[in-house]
Amino acid sequence: MTDRRRFEQQVLPHIDAAFNLARWLTRNDHDAEDVVQDAMLRAYRHFEGLRGEARPWLLAIVRNACFSWMQRNRPAELAAGPDAEAAEAATAPADGPEALLARELDRRMLNKAIAALPFPFREALILRELEDLSYREIARIANVPIGTVMSRLARARRLLAESVRVITLASRLQTEK
Amino acid sequence: MKPEEAARLLHAYVDRELDAAKSLELEAQLAADPALRERFERLRELSAGIREKADYHAAPSSLAARLSAALPGAASIAPRRAARWFLPVAAAALVAVLALGIALVRPGDEEALLREMVASHVRSTLGNRLIDVASSDQHTVKPWLSARLSFSPPVADFSQEGFELAGARLDYVGGRPVAVLVYKRRQHLIDAFIWPGNGPRDGAYSRDGFNVERSSAEGMRICLVSDLNRNELSDLARLLTARR
Repeated sequence: MTDRRRFEQQVLPHIDAAFNLARWLTRNDHDAEDVVQDAMLRAYRHFEGLRGEARPWLLAIVRNACFSWMQRNRPAELAAGPDAEAAEAATAPADGPEALLARELDRRMLNKAIAALPFPFREALILRELEDLSYREIARIANVPIGTVMSRLARARRLLAESVRVITLASRLQTEK
Repeated sequence: MKPEEAARLLHAYVDRELDAAKSLELEAQLAADPALRERFERLRELSAGIREKADYHAAPSSLAARLSAALPGAASIAPRRAARWFLPVAAAALVAVLALGIALVRPGDEEALLREMVASHVRSTLGNRLIDVASSDQHTVKPWLSARLSFSPPVADFSQEGFELAGARLDYVGGRPVAVLVYKRRQHLIDAFIWPGNGPRDGAYSRDGFNVERSSAEGMRICLVSDLNRNELSDLARLLTARR
């Protein structure tokens, strides 16, 4: 079987996962398409290096492609990440209000709130909740220790719960006007 | 375990990432502490809510096409979702196409009809134009077909029996428009060609590596074409004809 055939068989089926991650990280259909195409070509070039499961391997390549793309095109959005993390470290251990009732979760609000998360938190959340990857896999993809994955996920969920609440409240006020 | 540590480990517990010893410890704490228990429930709801309600952005089909053109090497066909069942089908289909090209055409309308249906099945799997209306809901598929045909074909999902209705398409076979229901069983695809009439011949055939099963019920001819084995194909034929 040619390399191309093997690639089409093992890697291409994960194109939805690749696009989903890129779309969430770049927050734009068009950019996500460009990034995924680049990432796929890169994956093809490094196909020899694939050991084990194709999906996390591909997602690591896509994630790095997104990250470099953001560095080149929208560095300001990445800068929000480390700052937010530093702020997280500085604040008291969160006795967090991730307390949010699922029935309050409006689909549109939720998507908005996830898109508003800083890059490192958004990345961890999408990989965990939408791609169902393990902490170990996420750590490898984001290139951070497992402990950091844990704290980012915790922080992501707290931020999310807070912002959904704020957005919901704001929209309620708007409709009451 | 201190309350702060329990709170910290809650996320890992929800994510099923906690080792057995710590899980037991945390579970004991959860049983003893209603506030912690409440947080745990909320957290689990949040996680489930995200999974259920957050957008999952599937790749647009244009992307697969772009990629196919950009990748070096000879293009084989139809990437993405097709992939799981695609390769075995494609391999069989290629053989079938070659065979069709060189096969002696036997006379007779029935034979021609069989070959037309096998060719249609092969074309549709190769060209990724398998399904015009994708739904496992018979109440979606049936009206869609009825609106486009001069007859109303029987439509049913047999997921319980292991034949999942994937959708339907229209086709033109034997000089008439026909309904084609598409079923999935494991990695196999089954086309069920349906049109009104009382055919003379029921029975099982094999053409170019594909199995064909002809039957009729209540004034409808039903013809199944698939690379699925003959026994299972007969099972579906029985389900389709016995249904009403």
